Amino acid sequence: MREGLEVFLTFLRLGLVSFGGGMANLPEMARILIAKGWVTPQQFADGFAMGQFVPGPNMLAVVFYGLSAGGLVGAVAAALGMFLPGAMGAILLVHGWEWMARARWSRALRKALVPVSMGLSASMLLVLIQLGIDSLWGFALMGLATWLIYRGANILAVMVAGGALGLGISWLR
Amino acid sequence: MRVPLPQLFTAFLYVGLTAFGGGGNAYIYQLMVVRRGWLSEREFLETTALCRVLPGPVFANLAAHLGAKLGGVLGGLVALVGVLLPGSSLMLLLSLAYFHFGAQPGSSAEGALSGVAAAAIGLVLATLLRQVRVGLDSLKAILLALAVFVTYGLLHWSLPLVLLLAVPVGVVLYWREAE
Repeated sequence: MREGLEVFLTFLRLGLVSFGGGMANLPEMARILIAKGWVTPQQFADGFAMGQFVPGPNMLAVVFYGLSAGGLVGAVAAALGMFLPGAMGAILLVHGWEWMARARWSRALRKALVPVSMGLSASMLLVLIQLGIDSLWGFALMGLATWLIYRGANILAVMVAGGALGLGISWLR
Repeated sequence: MRVPLPQLFTAFLYVGLTAFGGGGNAYIYQLMVVRRGWLSEREFLETTALCRVLPGPVFANLAAHLGAKLGGVLGGLVALVGVLLPGSSLMLLLSLAYFHFGAQPGSSAEGALSGVAAAAIGLVLATLLRQVRVGLDSLKAILLALAVFVTYGLLHWSLPLVLLLAVPVGVVLYWREAE
């Protein structure tokens, strides 16, 4: 139970500072979870990949990390910690929204958050490449997927094809 | 507009079941605005902007906010559970299998997973590339994004510290434009 609480508090902290989309804090998350010994770098990358594979928010990877950290209790604790702060804010702000939209600071904030979140995304990309890609094949596959998705290909189809190609490559080697 | 809770739950459960590969906002948009007409176009756009400012995954925030708009606080919780339930159940099953059978280096499971990982990173890169044209439309935007990337991505400063410095600077930079 104490472990569950620690998992909850860790993900609550990560959830609270994840401005600009939940994945913005992925580098921070990788650093913290690996330092605590809850996942290995390889497991972190694997969990992220599986998170892209299931329907719903990409950040469902936290279920994987929570499970690794503290079993079933950990899985639930991680999901609650990650999703509750923003959702509660979003629910409570149903009424404050009209006022916020009129305030000048909130319009400046919304404009400013665009480049900030792009800097965060680029940082996330760097960490993912460091953790998840360890061969020339991986780079080639990433490039191909990037090109296909950029051109508007179906995302799930690209993920499945990536899995099939990865399987084929591991058999060939 | 007020929507009964069971109807709200099944609608968001449907989104949670079908929203594969990120971009959940697009699925919510299709269902709430185009198909059912529960919200106007304008309402949806404003709401999305708000949910981007809040911490946490935009998709989950949007679901909770729209649920609350259509069904009160309980509606918000129902919507959140609806979008999370299918994916998190599947994720839990996959994770249990992963830790039970293990993905040994060199095994076919690990091979398939590293292929998915490469494709998933491609998804992140493609999304970033698409945003570049719209998001980095001025010198100050480029400098701000670069400053965040260098401090957070390369120098590994902590995220709260980076945001504490970058967000106020950004607000000042955009203050004139926000009139």
